[in-house]
Amino acid sequence: MNRALKCIPIAALSLLGAVGCNDFLSGGDLDTDPNNPPAATNSQLFVAAQASMWALHLSDPARLGAVFVQQYTGGGLGYLAIEEYDLDESTTNGIFTGIYTGGGLIDIRRLQANVREAGDSIYLGQAQILEALVMGAAADIFGDVVYSAAYGEENPPLDEQLSVYDQIQTLLDDAIENLAATGPTNFGAGAADLNYGGDPEPWTRLAWTLKARYYLHTAEVRGATAYAAARDAASKGLTDPDEDYKAQFSGNAGEENFTTVFVQLRSGYISPNPFFVNLLESRSDPRLTRYFDDDAEGLSDELLASDYDPPIVSAAENRLIWAEAAFRTGQTGVAQTQLTAARAIAGLPSVTASLGEILTEKYIALFQTLEPWNDYKRTCFPNIAPNAGKTTIPARLYYDTRDRQTNTSIPDPTAQPVRNDNDPPNAVDDVTGAECLGQ
Amino acid sequence: MRFPIRRLLAVAGALVLPAVAQAQATISGRVTAEGGNPVVGASVFLEGLQIGAQTTEEGRYNILVPAARATGQTAQLTVRSIGYRPISQPVTLTSGATITRDFTLVVNPLRLGEVVVTGAGTETTRERLGSVINSVDSSLLRRSAEPQNVVSALSGKAPNVNIRTQSGEPGASASIKIRGATSVFGTNQPLFVVDGQPIDNTTISTQQGPADFPGTGGTVTSNRAADINPNDIESVDILKGAAAAAIYGARAANGVVLITTKKGRPGATRYSLQSTTNFDKIVETMPLQRTYQQGTSSSTAAGGYVNGGCTAIDCTVPGSRIASWGAALSGVPTYDHSEEIYDTGLTLDNNLTVSGGNDRTTFYLSGGLTNQAGVIVGPNNRYDRTTARLKATHQLFQNFTVGGNFSYADVRGKYVQQGSNTAGLLLGALRTPPEFNNRPYLDPETGLHRSYRFPNPSPNSLTNDRGFSNPFFAINSPGNNNELGRFIGNVNLEYTPFAALTLRYTLGGDYYNDQRLEALPLTTGGAPTGQVTRFDVNNLEIDHNLVGTLRHTFSPSINGSLTLGQGLNSRRFRSTWVQGLDLNAPEPLALQNTVNVQVPLEFRSLRHAESYFTQAELNLFDQIFLNAGVRNDGFSTFGAGNRRAWYPKAQIAWAFTNALGITEQRGLLSFGKLRASYGETGREPPVYATNPVFTTGTQFGTGYGDFINASQSGQGGATTVFTARNPELKPERNRETELGADFGFLDQRVDLGFTWYNKRSTEVILNVPVNPAVTGSGATFANAAEITNQGIELTLNARPITTPAFAWEIGLQFGRNNGNVESLAGAEFVSYNNEGFTGAIGSSTVGYAPGVVRGDDFIRCGRGLTANLDSDPDLEDIDAACGANFAPGAVFIASNGQPLADPTDRVVADPNPDWTGGINTSVRLFGRLRLSGLLDIREGGQMWNGTRAALYRYGTHRDTEVRNRTGATITDVPGFSKAFPNVAGPGVGTVAFNTPAQWQSWFTGNGGVNGPTALFVEDISFVKLRELSLSYTLDQPWVRSRLGMTSMDIRVAGRNLATWTDYTGLDPESQLGGAEYLTQGIDYFNGPLTRSFVISIGLNR
Repeated sequence: MNRALKCIPIAALSLLGAVGCNDFLSGGDLDTDPNNPPAATNSQLFVAAQASMWALHLSDPARLGAVFVQQYTGGGLGYLAIEEYDLDESTTNGIFTGIYTGGGLIDIRRLQANVREAGDSIYLGQAQILEALVMGAAADIFGDVVYSAAYGEENPPLDEQLSVYDQIQTLLDDAIENLAATGPTNFGAGAADLNYGGDPEPWTRLAWTLKARYYLHTAEVRGATAYAAARDAASKGLTDPDEDYKAQFSGNAGEENFTTVFVQLRSGYISPNPFFVNLLESRSDPRLTRYFDDDAEGLSDELLASDYDPPIVSAAENRLIWAEAAFRTGQTGVAQTQLTAARAIAGLPSVTASLGEILTEKYIALFQTLEPWNDYKRTCFPNIAPNAGKTTIPARLYYDTRDRQTNTSIPDPTAQPVRNDNDPPNAVDDVTGAECLGQ
Repeated sequence: MRFPIRRLLAVAGALVLPAVAQAQATISGRVTAEGGNPVVGASVFLEGLQIGAQTTEEGRYNILVPAARATGQTAQLTVRSIGYRPISQPVTLTSGATITRDFTLVVNPLRLGEVVVTGAGTETTRERLGSVINSVDSSLLRRSAEPQNVVSALSGKAPNVNIRTQSGEPGASASIKIRGATSVFGTNQPLFVVDGQPIDNTTISTQQGPADFPGTGGTVTSNRAADINPNDIESVDILKGAAAAAIYGARAANGVVLITTKKGRPGATRYSLQSTTNFDKIVETMPLQRTYQQGTSSSTAAGGYVNGGCTAIDCTVPGSRIASWGAALSGVPTYDHSEEIYDTGLTLDNNLTVSGGNDRTTFYLSGGLTNQAGVIVGPNNRYDRTTARLKATHQLFQNFTVGGNFSYADVRGKYVQQGSNTAGLLLGALRTPPEFNNRPYLDPETGLHRSYRFPNPSPNSLTNDRGFSNPFFAINSPGNNNELGRFIGNVNLEYTPFAALTLRYTLGGDYYNDQRLEALPLTTGGAPTGQVTRFDVNNLEIDHNLVGTLRHTFSPSINGSLTLGQGLNSRRFRSTWVQGLDLNAPEPLALQNTVNVQVPLEFRSLRHAESYFTQAELNLFDQIFLNAGVRNDGFSTFGAGNRRAWYPKAQIAWAFTNALGITEQRGLLSFGKLRASYGETGREPPVYATNPVFTTGTQFGTGYGDFINASQSGQGGATTVFTARNPELKPERNRETELGADFGFLDQRVDLGFTWYNKRSTEVILNVPVNPAVTGSGATFANAAEITNQGIELTLNARPITTPAFAWEIGLQFGRNNGNVESLAGAEFVSYNNEGFTGAIGSSTVGYAPGVVRGDDFIRCGRGLTANLDSDPDLEDIDAACGANFAPGAVFIASNGQPLADPTDRVVADPNPDWTGGINTSVRLFGRLRLSGLLDIREGGQMWNGTRAALYRYGTHRDTEVRNRTGATITDVPGFSKAFPNVAGPGVGTVAFNTPAQWQSWFTGNGGVNGPTALFVEDISFVKLRELSLSYTLDQPWVRSRLGMTSMDIRVAGRNLATWTDYTGLDPESQLGGAEYLTQGIDYFNGPLTRSFVISIGLNR
């Protein structure tokens, strides 16, 4: 009876798409999402993870950092608050969350598990370097972050920032070893690697440069040993600007340089900071016109091109880390060589190496990356005065509300540290020894 | 095949042929009201025989009873008509008899005996209801002077039915919320059912297309119930409580709105032409300053100003020079940028209906034409709707009726960019400095778009950003439109195989195709290279409903019925969203003319539901009415293990005055009924929320729009989904208890209804935040939250004077709902920030009503906060610095005389009203002249006035004229003391504002849109004179003899004629985002509602 009652009306509906009475609630588009794939391939995961990492390195965090170190002036409705150091939990717009969600660590780990199982050590090494790029930036921006306890128990504890850097060093060592693998199962990322096309050799040099970078980030508290380690790592790192590790923007919709879209949509939010413009002008630095337009009121056409590929890790950075670390460990000859080589990349003549020259060159050369802010936190150089009415330049960003709400290990914003472990306030700047104005 | 047909004919013959062969019985007569006037259209029928007729213009009826059914038995001949008490007389039916029965009807203000539709194929009479059903009939709908949208027309008509209209723009959506929000997912709007068939009432903006969530800009979008021609509606019944709505099971969590369309009736064919003209004006303009020019004040010791400095070409770059903080103006013309963009809107609404029929066939045919030109200057805000409907019934056999109801709507709209949107109308208009003339929006020399931030466009500036679009450029951009065709139709059958059993069957379809274009031409603010968005939506809902009702009389005083029903429902949705960036040539605004087409986003979904339901009714001694039922729903959207669920209900009504012997319904207490009910309803999860998937659609970036896709350079990308799917999802549960009483006093001249309800929503589906570092997702769907809503509703109607020549009625309605989010699966709050408004984000927060707005505040005393108050890096204890005796909620004033921002995100505004109410009155003079009015009252509720906040920052708000004041303290700041009556701390009384530069610094910092949200939270209580109407009916004999009409109506009416509110924005009712929006209580360049003057003429014959 029940069955009959059920089936008769369906006969009437059959012309309207109901397949049969037993399947009225399941089958086809009823219980399979026709809009999304049920699984993801390794190359899909790798491509998306690269795009996500570009956002972490090149969108808001780097722009905020550039405002803090006075390369940009913040303005407009959204960035005046940044200019005034008026930060809160919503400042990063989900960047912290994105470290762990789709395209972030979760998918990198998923990819690593897949390629480990397939015996593809080269691919594994490349995915490990991607992980180092993500977690390194996470530690730079936020300090203590969930890392060793990720994807485990509820309320994972935060790893101390210095411990995160140490784990990254171990990870990169492992990656370097994996990249050297040979054998029939080692294919690497291939075309899914948008920058190096899967070639393990530049990846190995990239890993060394990253090791140098993250040793350097611990140098304020670890001193000479960290500089020595950074120097030695940099000596094996990227030296050819053609091998710069860059975001690869095609310029098509959804594949555009972040700066292009940001400036277009948020007119007036960022403009060249007079401090930076004056510095370039006073040094007659050709990058004044490379970076900015004729009146230095906006960015140059080159930097605003939708297919401009901004570097994330560059040969210039490697040489300048090398130069600084060598200089600080007494190898002035090496420092001179590397500074000269770094300046040559920018088409500049050699100058006598000094800490000031090295850090100034780095401050200029690495514009639009996170490094000028990281270097400022470490060295108080350039020794800039905080913006009007403020006493300290921000040294970290707040965790996202979502993460705080769902993890008791993350303190309320008012209880979060103002500075990170690697970054105690500098009393004086490293170059001139003058009183540090912004820390 | 042959055999069954022959058998069918034989059966049909058995039913029909004897009726022809033998003598039938005839019953005829006349039905009049107490004054002697004929009652037209009254239903006269033989109870239990399903035989009846309707009265004609003269009140006459004629019923033929087939001889086979006139077997000498006695039957009750009953007359029913809306507004009168039903009346019955026994008649003895013998073959060949001719019986005459005349009836005089008594008015029935409580509408007690009226039939009320209670659900899918079920109905009862009003006095038997154990729960509240509010009914709004066609005359009330007409009086509301709201020709576009049936939802807007329900404003103020029923307690705890809250309507919010996005704005007064043509085609804007209206949302309806009954008894508070029960969910933190979805818009909490009721199910809409037209003539027994569920229809779609979603609102999907073009911006929402790809994103799963609505944007804050774009254009307005209709809620789809607006496609129904209100003129076709006979009545709207609002099922509020769970017991009333349980018959709709898993789709009824927010109540049900049942719409019954008009039908034809036997008698002479009637023609009716209704012609209405609306003149619309905006309710309010924004107060702007006309004294200071574009520029910035200098903070140097010398003071003074730096004026615009951008007259050469462009001033988009230097931040503060785009605002109006310059020197005082003198000798130059200034403009009212709020007023100049509006003029008088005109709406023409014409409806022609033809209806009629005979004792076996009725028909209703209508055509409607609505042409609305909105209040924004120019040709691009229009809403044009053409509708046609044919509803017909035919009695095939005495016991078998077939019917059909078919309607088609053609809707075409043209829109203007609005909201939080650099291309939007108000955003650009209100930020313009007073001395800039926006009207010549094209440069006289180059013919290109000029704006105050780009005043002198050169010939090669075709892709340069204008900052904000000139409002007149926005107005004259033709790129935003939609074209929709919608068919709603059903066929229905009613079969009474024997007197005690009725079978009803409805098969209906609702199909629409909506084609949208949202295109931004070259030079548009924020999209200078142009952008074309195509969005096609295609929706099909098919509904099948079969109901059988068996009636039985156990004894003269006990009777009852049993209903069994089955429903099948299929909803198929398709959308395609394609966006092309960078126009090739300036025109056309079409996808093929863009050079950078994004990956099209296609969305498909299919949902099925299969339901069985049963309910039993028992009537004891005509005073106790019991009703109990249960529904079993199966939904394809639930997790595989939870596909089916039960929804029970039970209600009891006791007309205790019947027990007291007051059966005539006269006297001081003329009627009294107590009622109690309990019911459960549900809500289905979002489609495909149970299927684990990866996504290729993720984008990475920030909230500033600089997103990139997961796929890059021709290499596909896919990611873990941000919101994890949950295969275990099951329906949300609403359990609602309702108690109430209805009374009639003083011979029914006064009636009073009171209802109390308590609704507990459990297993509420929640996009529950999960820790990204634990799960790899930011949220997951879960049945996790718990929400309660409690409230009371009161209606009081009085008819002090009811003489034929003069009548006066007055009614009050009052509703109060207290919502509370009890738990959110351990989370403190769930924000609706998918809707994207930084600084003021809607949320469900534990301990508050659903929908509170979160944002930041100033540092206040008593919150245990710390802050850095001096150059020493240590943090100081604020409460200690506040002093000993600070008032509760006092804002801390630092020693510089200014408050400090508190970065903590917290609840800053509750948009839900404390209570809502309405007062309506109607006076009828000389029988023909009627004056009626409706006051709509909302008490409480808050909104973030982001428009004012932004205009403070831009220095264009009139309040910023304070900038020349010297010696001012924080309490002299406009709006500050109103928002924060108490202050404490070392800086109280310290002069902080002496120079224009100091004022500018305040308004562009903490005192404007960049500062704490709490400063701009305002009360949005209001009283609106919603409707005022004067109508005159001409039905004198000369109208018929001289004009050939039976009657003519002339009506003059107004809508939203007056508003009393403390809200300083354009309109306390408007909302950012349309009916699709969960977040209310945010004003960010929202358009205002309109005030309408209406002239209407109706011709009937």
